[in-house]
Amino acid sequence: MAKQGYDYLFKILLIGDSGVGKTCILCRFADDSFNSSFISTIGIDFKMKTIELNGKKIKLQIWDTAGQERFFTITSTYYRGAMGIMLVYDVTDQKSFDSIGKWLRNIDENANEDVVKMIIGNKCDMEDKRGVETERGEEVAKNHGIPFLETSAKTNVNVTRAFHDMALRILEKQPDKKPEMPNINPSKPFNVHTPSSNYGISYKPNCC
Amino acid sequence: MERYKERLEEVKSLLNKDQIDLKRLREICSQSCPNEGGLRSVIWKILLNYLPSDRKQWTEILNKRRNEYRNFVRDMIIRPGYKENENCEIDHPLNSNPESEWSSFFKDNEVLVQIDKDVRRLCPDLFFFQKPTEFPCEEIKNVQDAEIYQSLRKRVAKTQLKADEVSKHRLGFTNYKSNSKKTKEEQDEYAYLPDGQEAHWEIIERILFIYAKLNRGCSYVQGMNEVLGPIYYIFANDPDIEWRRNAEADCFFCFNNLMGLEGIRENFELVLDNTQIGIAANMKRLYDLVRSNDPSVFNILQKQNLKPEFFAFRWITLLLSQEFKLPEVISLWDVLFADKETLDLLIHVCCAMILIQREHLLKGDFSANIKILQNYPNSVEIKEIVEKARNIRRK
Repeated sequence: MAKQGYDYLFKILLIGDSGVGKTCILCRFADDSFNSSFISTIGIDFKMKTIELNGKKIKLQIWDTAGQERFFTITSTYYRGAMGIMLVYDVTDQKSFDSIGKWLRNIDENANEDVVKMIIGNKCDMEDKRGVETERGEEVAKNHGIPFLETSAKTNVNVTRAFHDMALRILEKQPDKKPEMPNINPSKPFNVHTPSSNYGISYKPNCC
Repeated sequence: MERYKERLEEVKSLLNKDQIDLKRLREICSQSCPNEGGLRSVIWKILLNYLPSDRKQWTEILNKRRNEYRNFVRDMIIRPGYKENENCEIDHPLNSNPESEWSSFFKDNEVLVQIDKDVRRLCPDLFFFQKPTEFPCEEIKNVQDAEIYQSLRKRVAKTQLKADEVSKHRLGFTNYKSNSKKTKEEQDEYAYLPDGQEAHWEIIERILFIYAKLNRGCSYVQGMNEVLGPIYYIFANDPDIEWRRNAEADCFFCFNNLMGLEGIRENFELVLDNTQIGIAANMKRLYDLVRSNDPSVFNILQKQNLKPEFFAFRWITLLLSQEFKLPEVISLWDVLFADKETLDLLIHVCCAMILIQREHLLKGDFSANIKILQNYPNSVEIKEIVEKARNIRRK
């Protein structure tokens, strides 16, 4: 190891409808910054971040894609090389949630079979605008056997956790240096995020 | 400074003649437009073929075009969805015929929601687009009228309401959110101006919506807002009130003409991706240029598998509008518009941008290099880039 300064290089792709906050999630994770008015991503964008997991240095190469269908021929070429794909929807935008099926089909058709998937419901800080309840996100994820997390790039909820979970799952699949996984709860089939006061989210809106 | 004054005087006298010497105007502007007294705003209209070189025709053409645009707004926005004709009797919102006017109304709404997301995100560093315009759409200016007339604002809100109702049907009562509440919070986030006022971004939205409706094939593609933004910025800041008053209509036609220049709109079109005139062909042209001008840089890009899709897709499609700060974009566009082959010069400019970074690129690894190309260093001056582009082109 160490010549290149890391043990593993993982390529991760962010996909989902436009405006769900893919760029914001990436900037929160890579630069720890948030700006609610990012310009829309055209084509594909890219950031790197090195993290340490189980004593291994892991360099994450994260590709941020444009959401509109027009860019799909450009972005679909990255599905193949991706080791992990985060499918992001916006919990305040029903339509972006309805698109999950379409995005999952894109993954099936274009990515490697063993790609690590994760569904992310972003903007969970906007509780009073919520249109998709946590349970529905969990249910869809469970039906597809995919881990699920709700995040907020704005208030920095679960963003780091999402990338670390994903990196751990990819690490698990590495043939040679299979690491121990002490941080993941082994009793759960899916790493479904259940509401917990640790993350300061109130899942039930008070209004209805 | 002397030379600038000379150029300024010459441009002024060129523009005062009845018959404008277009060739000379292009030559002068290929260095950059002098921008005193709103000169650039007029010159761009000429360079983008909106105003003819015969000045005597200007009034007539402007009147005609501006009326035309007003009619677009009335037909497509103020009274949308149905026309008062016999079709109304057989057409209804649940009509499953794709030719149904209601069906196209709903499709339009999808386009509108996409535009709405993007225009709100236009040039966030610049407060300008959030500010109210002096010249909102006539029909909504009067608050009472705004109650009667349809507007894009209402359509966006209604489309969101529709989405809310869908979720209500699926999961029963638990998932329903009232729209009035949403609108209130939306105001905190995005600050819609009060009725009767419009922000500049709402004007951009209207122009793009009409453009999308008139160009069914291409419709609206993300990034068009970035191409429209600088043109509108120049027109809406014209010191002359009459030009400012008509910034929206003038901008629509200039944007339309810019997109119509050889190869510009084609970059946005998915169906042309694998043809000789689409974005893929243009990215290949760029890499061919790099190869013939600097094989070692080309080799490093090849070796690191640094594809043009990673950065040049955006560079070319958006005419570099996202790579530099607005004042720099504007002076680069002076040069691009002044050239008779805008796309060709653009590709040479992109090549120059790569070659100017050659020392860094030859040293850097994949991630260092992609960083340079995706976040182009702002230490490089537009003038230097353009000069280099011209040198490459002369070869």
